[in-house]
Amino acid sequence: MNDIQLPPIDYAALLPMLIVFGLACVGILAEAFVPRKHRFAVQATLTLAALIAGLVTVIINRDLEVTTIGGAVTIDGAGLFLQGIILVLGIVAFGLIAERRLERGGAFVANAAHAADSDGDKKQLNEAGATEIFPLTLFAIAGMMLFCVSGDLLTMFVALEVFSLPLYLMCGLARRRRLLSQESALKYFLLGAFASAFFLYGVALIYGYAGSVQLVAIKQSVLDSDKSGVLLAAGLALLAIGLLFKAAAVPFHVWTPDVYQGAPTPITALMAACVKAAAFGGLLRVFNVAFETTSWDWRPVITAVAMATMIVGSILAVTQTDIKRLLAYSSIANAGYLLVGVVSLGGAVGSSMFYLVAYGFSVLAAFGMVTLVRDADGEATHLSRWAGLGKGSPLFSAMFTIIMLGFAGIPLTSGFSSKFALFSSAWDANQSALVIVGVLSSVVLAFPYLKVVVLLWLNPPGDETPTVSVPGYLTRAVVGVGVLATIVLGVAPSWLLDMVNSAGTFLAK
Amino acid sequence: MDSITYADATGALSSMWLLVAIPAVSAAVLLLLGKRADKWGHWLGVAAVLAAFGLAVTYFFQLKGLDNRSAALNLFEFIHIGGLEVNVGLLFDPLTAVFVLLITGVGFLIHVYAVGYMSHDPGRRRFFAYFNLFVAAMLLLVLGDNYVMLYAGWEGVGLASYLLISFWYERPAAATAGKKAFLINRVGDVGFALAIFLMFATFGTTDYAKVFNGVLESEAGQTVSAGVLLALGLLLLLGACGKSGQFPLQTWLPDAMEGPTPVSALIHAATMVTAGVYMIARSATIFNANETAQTVVVSIGALTLLIGCIIGCAKDGIKRVLAYSTVSQIGYMFLAVGLGGGAYALGIIHLLAHGFFKAGLFLGAGSVMHGMKDQEDIRRYGGLWKHMKITWATFGLGWLAIIGMFPFSGFFTKDPIILSAFNREGWTGWLYGGAALLGAGLTAFYMTRLFVLTFHGKPRWEMEKHGDHHADGDEAHHAGIKQTADGRDIQHPHESPLIMTIPLIVLALGSVFAGYLMSTSVVDWLTPVLGDAPEEHGRLSHGTVTVLTLGVVVIGAAIAFLLFRNGTELVERPARTHIVRAARNNLYADRFNELVFELPGRLLTRALVWVDNRGVDGIVNGLAAAFGGGSGRLRRLQTGYVRTYALSILSGAVLVVAALLAVRLG
Amino acid sequence: MTPEYYLVLAAVLFTIGAVGVLIRRNAIVVFMCVELMLNAANLTLVTFARINGSLDGQIMAFFVMVVAAAEVVVGLAIIMSIFRSRRSASVDDANLLKY
Repeated sequence: MNDIQLPPIDYAALLPMLIVFGLACVGILAEAFVPRKHRFAVQATLTLAALIAGLVTVIINRDLEVTTIGGAVTIDGAGLFLQGIILVLGIVAFGLIAERRLERGGAFVANAAHAADSDGDKKQLNEAGATEIFPLTLFAIAGMMLFCVSGDLLTMFVALEVFSLPLYLMCGLARRRRLLSQESALKYFLLGAFASAFFLYGVALIYGYAGSVQLVAIKQSVLDSDKSGVLLAAGLALLAIGLLFKAAAVPFHVWTPDVYQGAPTPITALMAACVKAAAFGGLLRVFNVAFETTSWDWRPVITAVAMATMIVGSILAVTQTDIKRLLAYSSIANAGYLLVGVVSLGGAVGSSMFYLVAYGFSVLAAFGMVTLVRDADGEATHLSRWAGLGKGSPLFSAMFTIIMLGFAGIPLTSGFSSKFALFSSAWDANQSALVIVGVLSSVVLAFPYLKVVVLLWLNPPGDETPTVSVPGYLTRAVVGVGVLATIVLGVAPSWLLDMVNSAGTFLAK
Repeated sequence: MDSITYADATGALSSMWLLVAIPAVSAAVLLLLGKRADKWGHWLGVAAVLAAFGLAVTYFFQLKGLDNRSAALNLFEFIHIGGLEVNVGLLFDPLTAVFVLLITGVGFLIHVYAVGYMSHDPGRRRFFAYFNLFVAAMLLLVLGDNYVMLYAGWEGVGLASYLLISFWYERPAAATAGKKAFLINRVGDVGFALAIFLMFATFGTTDYAKVFNGVLESEAGQTVSAGVLLALGLLLLLGACGKSGQFPLQTWLPDAMEGPTPVSALIHAATMVTAGVYMIARSATIFNANETAQTVVVSIGALTLLIGCIIGCAKDGIKRVLAYSTVSQIGYMFLAVGLGGGAYALGIIHLLAHGFFKAGLFLGAGSVMHGMKDQEDIRRYGGLWKHMKITWATFGLGWLAIIGMFPFSGFFTKDPIILSAFNREGWTGWLYGGAALLGAGLTAFYMTRLFVLTFHGKPRWEMEKHGDHHADGDEAHHAGIKQTADGRDIQHPHESPLIMTIPLIVLALGSVFAGYLMSTSVVDWLTPVLGDAPEEHGRLSHGTVTVLTLGVVVIGAAIAFLLFRNGTELVERPARTHIVRAARNNLYADRFNELVFELPGRLLTRALVWVDNRGVDGIVNGLAAAFGGGSGRLRRLQTGYVRTYALSILSGAVLVVAALLAVRLG
Repeated sequence: MTPEYYLVLAAVLFTIGAVGVLIRRNAIVVFMCVELMLNAANLTLVTFARINGSLDGQIMAFFVMVVAAAEVVVGLAIIMSIFRSRRSASVDDANLLKY
């Protein structure tokens, strides 16, 4: 009993996460030691390098299938693909976070400790923004990467907190409209902590049922445990709540619109693209690995949640008047479509991951363009202010139109091919009721998007139509990449679908 | 029927993707260049469609020389998930060929016309961009070689139509009409989308060839249940009804006339609204395999054609009447394709002929409105033939064509449909045939009313004094219409410029000759796609039906002529006084006429218009209001209080836990 | 004493915490209620470790404590900043984002 056997660690398999975590720590040091003048350049370079190095190592590892650190981490095809998605979308979102041309000093406040609207706060309006946003971003992304490859529920909980905590902070760092930003941070934090308490309690109950929190062990004990199913059912339910909260499923979606609206737009973009990918990565893994054999238990419940999410998200989107809130509700409805993929299990994993890629690129471009429409007070997000933008800024409006059409699921955009792929696999898995609700809700959802298109092109410009700022190279690249991906994945999605399908599924051994 | 195969495209046909690419690129150029393209943009739009027409003719002649009469071009793989494989592929076969020629040919004429019609509109470049976008999407719709491609084009034309209906956004009616068209079309699209998923689940593919072969095999071996085939047919039909304005989804089409007139002519008369007919004809194999689905198609066609005719009698807006006549003519086409067998080709021929004469009529209506300061109300026209002779002549030819007068095109295309309807087996043949015949009479009535009220009789407007009238007269277009003391409009009607009248003349020639030329040749041409027309020995001979139809048409036209040769009142009389006055004056002969011929018709039409507005519209508007209202109310739940949100999460948690426990223990 | 009582106690604590989040206005107290929920989960973990006869549950409780400590740091920072801006720590006052 004296010598503890350390579990073997496969460092090569963990390398992508080690790089991002490690460079995040280096970023913290840089924050302390690099002179203020150079800090932005150093931090930005470091972050980009970390993300790219992470992506490269993920690609090198692409054929790896290994369980390591005593089962805490499972590297498999689907997990690596999800890590890849998060890194690619993270690199694109980095472009928005590092943009400093639209507003002097960037989108983030210099010193978040100043009370909103105090003298100090007014003074810092023209100071360069805080650079701690970069290590925070890296921590968040590293946490998401870990979340997707967790082999047990405890690792998953830790990863959940690792990526949530930086996000709570980042939400409160907006340069303008400080009060809204702080409020969104508070709401996100309190509700997020509330939801993760449910998650943890669920973990505890499942531990009681299975005697272990490893996903494969849970699967095994579901098959041959003689304990009361109450523990399993209650534990599974509470666990699901924690995950559904992050995924923004009804009725755990309530934080989404407020947080999306109040947070600095680059962070909203990061949440909409990367967090969505991570949350669904986790959901897919938990349900496909640990609870696949009890699917007849949870399927009706998750089906109901998925339907409610699709319906509520699309209906509420109809009357929104703020573009960021509109996109928030659309993100809720899209969570519903992705849940269809979760319910359909195995066959739909590939289509769900494809959906995450397609949606992630479009939503990044959408929020990227939201940062461009500005007036003297910063971003003008009220839709009435967008009327008639097509007259003065046709290129901007054309690109935004493409994104909106993509969200609306018009053919030849990624919105159509991804929905089509997802619904086809769901239909294949005998989830026809979900598909019907999905098609109906996407019909309703198309309406608010097209309303924006009409607003842009056909409505007369108002007296105080804001200007579309000339973006810097970074935002330009983000928007360009997003729009391009929306079209390419719409016209010729098969290469990515092949890649997704050959990535394989979750390792359940 | 043998199994269906399509030969690979060779030679010039392997470049058929250009058909879609050229207008699409032109649209993109027009949209992206912005104001820089304002000066020449419309000519680029016209040139793109002309180029597409040239290509279409080339392809047509190449196709004629091919043995197999089909050319499939597989461009690239679109989606490959599990067992499902969807390719981006194009198919050029006889059915596609006639549609491509119609779309590019008539489309080109309407583009030319629009150069003149939109000449004073500041958004002309944008208009042509959308117009080209529409042509590209419509060509994609007919060229696709599988249902997903068809759906892609389907959504594309819907989008373009939505944008073009709402083109004059400053008019609230236009915005509402656009919204309505969009909503109703989405209802149909849901049906189509579900049909595609069902097809995939049943046959594992959406390629035309494979699906049709699957249906044929299942017919032989009973592998696919009749219920699935029926569901497939009905879902496709729902899609077709939405796009083609058929009962019960017809109400968006007349409202769509709020768009510019060339849009009404191209999209809402000649091409897009016939997409539903194309879809059913293309899916002939599916519908042939299921008699119930066919019966539903026939019934919807017959019902819609009557509804369209009857409401057409009651409308006073020149474009509205034409819109309802479109609804009713498409009803004829649905009737034909629903009859199956040889009648498929009849439906397509009627569609082609209709494309010519209806486009001509709409453009004529546009020309009239152009000369009458955008006045639409036919009660405020009259005697216009003296002032716009070309429009009068071309409109007249279109009128004779649509009512099916010998030897104009409608005669050659509508009569065979009526004949086929009579020859349907069983008692239903009398029913459908009777409906079609009655429809022909009513069409003659309301179209004659339209023609006579517009161009003949005494003017019901006042000639503008020469001193008042501007040199070019165009500023007055948008300045509103002045009226005399007794409520008559002050007008200065004039013929439209050449660029507008030349397309009118060409289309009028089409209305005269197209029917006869196509009536035999196109039937043979379409045989490889739609199957042979079996020799029919029905209960009524061709001669009998022809005589009957012509008789009904002449009677309908004569009644309308007698009733309206002296014009009509400027404003519709309120119903009550009308009845009272009619009762008081019923000793007079003309009042008697009015009572016998007009009153029952009027009551019937009133009732139908009411149902049309309140019933279907009510449902649609109610649905929209329900979503809007529900959305507005649900929004209030988002109170902004963290604790409310926590309550939502907690109650959700309780529900989820309780539900899972219930499932587990229950 | 059977370990099941601890499970019941943990469930009661969890419920008290959850209800506390709903009914308390002060952000700090709300946050403490969340901590209570986390600790209820900890108690459950430790009890199950005892019942299952494995150490995993106890080790997990340590992990959770560390995570909770990190959460406190972030949470207090956020609550502090909003308190300084608004001179109030009531969660009901933060009500600008809605509908």
